[in-house]
Amino acid sequence: MTTLTPDGLRKLVGEWMAAGKICVGPVRVKPGTELFTRLASPEELLLDGWVRPANSIKEWLLPRHEVLYGYRVEKNRIELLDQPETVPEQIVICAHPCDAAALPVLDQVFNWDFRDEAYNRRREATTVITLACTAHDQECFCTSVGLGPDAERGSDAMLTPLGDGQFAVSSLTEKGRAALGKAEADGHAGRTNAPPVRFVPRQVARFAVDHFADPFWQAQSLACVGCGACAYTCPVCHCFDIVDEGNGREGVRARNWDACQFPLFTLHASGHNPRHGQGDRQRQRIYHKFHVYPEKFGETLCTGCGNCARNCPAGLGVLPLITEIPHAEPVQA
Amino acid sequence: MSGTDGFSPKIVAYVCNWCTYLGADLAGTARLEYPPNVRIIRLPCTGRIDTNLVVKAFEVGADAVLVSGCHPGDCHYTAGNYHARRRWMLFRDLLEVVGFDMRRIYFTWISAAEGRKFQQTIEEITEQTRALGPYRPYEVEPAATPCSGCAACSAGSDPSHDREGAVADSPAQAHLRETAARLLSGGAVKVVIGYGRRGPAFITRPEDAARLVWNQTCFANLTTYLKRQEVRALGKPAIVLKGCDERALVVLEKESQVERAEVHTIGMACPGMGQPKCESCDTRQPRFADEMIALDGRPAPTPTADRYAALDPLLEMPPEARLAFWTAEFDRCLKCYACRQVCPMCYCERCLADKNRPQAIDTSPHRKGNFAWHLSRAIHLAGRCVGCDECTRACPAAIDLRLLNLALARAAETQFSYRAGTDPAAEPLVGAYSLTDKEEFIR
Repeated sequence: MTTLTPDGLRKLVGEWMAAGKICVGPVRVKPGTELFTRLASPEELLLDGWVRPANSIKEWLLPRHEVLYGYRVEKNRIELLDQPETVPEQIVICAHPCDAAALPVLDQVFNWDFRDEAYNRRREATTVITLACTAHDQECFCTSVGLGPDAERGSDAMLTPLGDGQFAVSSLTEKGRAALGKAEADGHAGRTNAPPVRFVPRQVARFAVDHFADPFWQAQSLACVGCGACAYTCPVCHCFDIVDEGNGREGVRARNWDACQFPLFTLHASGHNPRHGQGDRQRQRIYHKFHVYPEKFGETLCTGCGNCARNCPAGLGVLPLITEIPHAEPVQA
Repeated sequence: MSGTDGFSPKIVAYVCNWCTYLGADLAGTARLEYPPNVRIIRLPCTGRIDTNLVVKAFEVGADAVLVSGCHPGDCHYTAGNYHARRRWMLFRDLLEVVGFDMRRIYFTWISAAEGRKFQQTIEEITEQTRALGPYRPYEVEPAATPCSGCAACSAGSDPSHDREGAVADSPAQAHLRETAARLLSGGAVKVVIGYGRRGPAFITRPEDAARLVWNQTCFANLTTYLKRQEVRALGKPAIVLKGCDERALVVLEKESQVERAEVHTIGMACPGMGQPKCESCDTRQPRFADEMIALDGRPAPTPTADRYAALDPLLEMPPEARLAFWTAEFDRCLKCYACRQVCPMCYCERCLADKNRPQAIDTSPHRKGNFAWHLSRAIHLAGRCVGCDECTRACPAAIDLRLLNLALARAAETQFSYRAGTDPAAEPLVGAYSLTDKEEFIR
């Protein structure tokens, strides 16, 4: 079994940083607030003492603001300025299994009918080293969507805390081996801690389809204030808006995150809005995650991280809403 | 450009059509020479000069900004300059706290007859700005993370995570449930907006009144729901109010957003919710509620902290450090607009930030877009924010928005003896003006 000490890991991070790689990991930005952040030093990296960061690692694949290309106008000549073909290599350290599992999900969206170069460039340059979870809270539900505290999906390497401060290392892909060397998993000697299975996704999908026009959605969404905190901290929500910023001489076309909870998201130029209120918008969020995406790509658009619920100022989120769906809970064995 | 050698500052001057623009015109016709560094933008009146425009000028590369209009008493729209003066007083305090270099922002009164004063003003600003060098507020190095525990920020752990734990039965809670059931079964109201185990609860049937809780997790300000169309559609509401929340209702009523007769208010004497805002709270007892639910025999705790004490560590920093602090804060902003959406005072049907003709505020969550958004949000709350701190609580990135609101509340109190939501009869701070407003910063 290959093991790594916290100091050993930090030393590796220091080497990666020295080699010019962008290193990303959980950082405590305020007492009680941990966020995935680009590390300024290996010492910033948190290795324990939190359930999960309030944001997700998607920021490094689909940045909240990304310039697609620039333009410059000189007299009658218009020049388009492409973004660089290559992006710096980046290593995400201490991703959670629910972050890593988001990447294969996003891959399908960004390579389905159109191959999104900007996404794929970053994806290819990214190595994800996942830390198996030793803690969960009441908002965690990875086990309800087919994952778990040591799920390997989307990870290039896995660190499993052994309980004595050390981590068991297993490299799962070429990228993982390039970062951490050949490291074999030999069963799970580590301590992980799984949340109970809280619902059955298929039943959520069935309810959403059968009760599309049900007053349930409206009644359960009254507290929703219509912000994007759920979608923006979700590892798999991937909607974006395209904006032009600049003046008559120069500027950029960029894409920014967008979220289905904003009324503006579906507002037509005519003034008509096909989604009338937060009930329609909350339904859309569940419907997309548990019915539309699975129907198209065969899996759930949710990794059970619980960020939506932790970040919601009004106590909503995927799990709180699903908990109210009749018969969504698993039949007790 | 490095250093100040050969540096030619860009100065943006927002001037009113009737006085300063004519003053500039007079300087021209009188053949008075002044440096060509100034770009004059003519607007109808200083009362029209939105503070966003000042921010915008710096965003696009101004090294200094001048705002100038008619002398007091000379406004061609009677009082536009008085309104502007009051707004600038508040805006200056905001920029001060954010760490903008105040030596680069000028306010003057220049009449149509003062061609000479216009010339001198531009000469002076050009000279001073040249000495200061180029201004690049958006290129500062953000303060380091993780935080050094300098106590400047009060944001952080969101107590909503621990919600499930604190549910205790109390006489006040029982009284609240009885009240809700009575109001609903008598048909006096159609919905009771209160607190449930996970957050806001909307009770429409008397038998559901038992879902209401009254405990340490009831820190949210529910008045924000009075504006939501989904809640309004339910019919006449009763709302559970703490003393601090009631202040928000007073502001909303003052701004014609709420008809008091159309809302039944259930006032809760509050023991404090353990939030930063509670430390300096002196309004634990609602004053205008339709009915009151008393504390459980305990006296309400007295405030332990100065209202604006949280600002002290920030104000002790030099301006550059303040700007670095806010740069680090705003750099985390995702533009999820949770701050706006939870705010009871943000009730515009379409926010300035969501308009794109013209694009007053960049929608992008980059540094300039975030500065523009947060400065705009803060100044729009001047004299209106009651300090419920919902914005700070809602922020998933733990941006300490509370400090911006506090800075403006302090400006309102120290300069105008005004506290939002305390006096139902007082004129709104920004909607009014006084001939005696201080203007020592205006030349």
